[in-house]
Amino acid sequence: MDFLNNYIFYIGAFGLIFIGLYILLTRKNLIKLIIGLSIVDTGVNLLIICMGYLKNGTAPIFSRKGLNPETMVDPTPQALVLTSIVIGVAVLAMALSLAIRLYQHYGTLDMRKIKEQKW
Amino acid sequence: MVNPILLIIAPLSAAFIIPLMGYGLKRIVKFIPPLVMGFNLVVSLSLAPKVIKNPIIVFLGGFPPPFGINLYVGPLGILFSCVISLVGFIVSIYALNYIKQGAEQKYHALYLLLLTGATGIVLTGDIFNLFVFYEILCISSYALVGYTGEKAGIESASKYLIQGSLGSSLILIAIALLYGKFGTLNMADMASRIDSVHTMELFFPLVLFITGMGVESAIFPLNAWLPDAHSSAPSTISAILSGIAIKIGIYALCRVIFTIFGATDILQFLMLLGLVTLLVGEFSAFSQDNIKRMLAYSSTGQIGLIVFAMGVGTQYGISGGLFQFTTHALSKSLLFLTTGYMIYRAGSMKISALEGMGKKMPLTSVAFTIGAFSLIGLPPFIGFPSKFMIVYSVLARQSGLYIVFLALVLAGTVIEGAYFFKVIQAIYFKGERKDDRAKEAPLSALIPVIILVLLIIGIGIYPKVLTSILDSSAAELLDRIGYIKEALK
Repeated sequence: MDFLNNYIFYIGAFGLIFIGLYILLTRKNLIKLIIGLSIVDTGVNLLIICMGYLKNGTAPIFSRKGLNPETMVDPTPQALVLTSIVIGVAVLAMALSLAIRLYQHYGTLDMRKIKEQKW
Repeated sequence: MVNPILLIIAPLSAAFIIPLMGYGLKRIVKFIPPLVMGFNLVVSLSLAPKVIKNPIIVFLGGFPPPFGINLYVGPLGILFSCVISLVGFIVSIYALNYIKQGAEQKYHALYLLLLTGATGIVLTGDIFNLFVFYEILCISSYALVGYTGEKAGIESASKYLIQGSLGSSLILIAIALLYGKFGTLNMADMASRIDSVHTMELFFPLVLFITGMGVESAIFPLNAWLPDAHSSAPSTISAILSGIAIKIGIYALCRVIFTIFGATDILQFLMLLGLVTLLVGEFSAFSQDNIKRMLAYSSTGQIGLIVFAMGVGTQYGISGGLFQFTTHALSKSLLFLTTGYMIYRAGSMKISALEGMGKKMPLTSVAFTIGAFSLIGLPPFIGFPSKFMIVYSVLARQSGLYIVFLALVLAGTVIEGAYFFKVIQAIYFKGERKDDRAKEAPLSALIPVIILVLLIIGIGIYPKVLTSILDSSAAELLDRIGYIKEALK
């Protein structure tokens, strides 16, 4: 149980990433693929947050008294996650707007039927 | 001295000024990209002589690394930045008349964003910053592929987006794992600590990096998006995607493998990847009847050649790979730009539709022929010295396996020659054109084409102009210790 206790965040993050990959590999509907991408994204964000997490950690504010620097959470991953969330939103918006246009052209979102371009 | 940060700031701010200017001054919007790229070209060229002697390190926000983000403007970065701004400048002149319908301002804004991303990647010294610029590059290229809103463009853009953003997620996982190990994001700082952990712990991040960056640089099993995206976009975008965007992936890959990981033991694997990519690209290109698709597959093949040369791993081999990068950036953008108006006049992308173009569009056809000869590697064009360098560097290794690899590479080159001669034969010696619609391309398209032709012939005759920068770039990649010392000084 100790292993689970220590690594539960990593297991959760990689679990989400693999769920997303599974969706990307098996589904054919474009919207579902985009959902898969989004789940992968969430998993990655969670993974980055895990990197700086401490149990019972506090915010890294040096000016406030009573906070011990050793229990402070690393703030860099949180800044990274903010950036990566913004990028994720941009990709998601781009993907959904492409999906709308694709539906207007083909009348379907099934990627098996959308194959005018091929080898 | 000019601050190298301007190379990133100028296109980035211009990209956001364009939509604002679109409200009142619609006519002059299209002149902004050539202006900005011309500025970038001048700055890069003026920095180059200084940078070859001593790399310039810029602290962003005044924080020294490893706490702040730094720009590492070394010879390698400035070589890429010169080529990016040169090709960006030439293609943007071509676009003045070529981009007429559709969302014109959005095209120019996205175009500048793409080049911002590319320049940022090659100059930054921080791995997360590299990822952010990488995403800027990728997102603007998804948008540019689909920007006309036509059926083919939208379809290939959505396929590209799904593969590309999965690749970026993999890169981000690798960055997160490395941050967890070393607690730093600075590339030099990371490189200095990489020996402190066991190799097996680094294996997974390295695999993720190779896979993630392999998607953008279209290395073989991950290249499915490239022919669709490059062939369905307008020709200017194909030129910039083929000439610049995919090579930036290779830059990032080399930076990670050589500088951060110092993983010289996977170089043979890299060579093998390059070889397979080359053969797959050339064989697929041979069987195409759509000219843009053929050129796109040929790009895959050339990427394979560059990766192969990087995998040789000697000073001379890497110089050759970087030389081949320059060759491909110039020749492939020339090919896409010349075919742009040929397709426009012929009204079809089929190779058979281009028959007899040699009489109707003489200048464009000659330029196409020169670009094709240069890619095949015939003297006196730029492709000859670069291919020669690669061949020489492989022979210098004096190993049986390398010679077998080289034989396969040269077989790929023969196939490359075969399909380019097929097109040249169709343009000059087949069929007669009766319709009068086909006439020479307009002046704004001929000027960039002529500049490219002159560069290709000029560097081909006198390749020594590039020697010093290529040598010091290759030395920068091979000399990890020097990189770490310079960056953390």
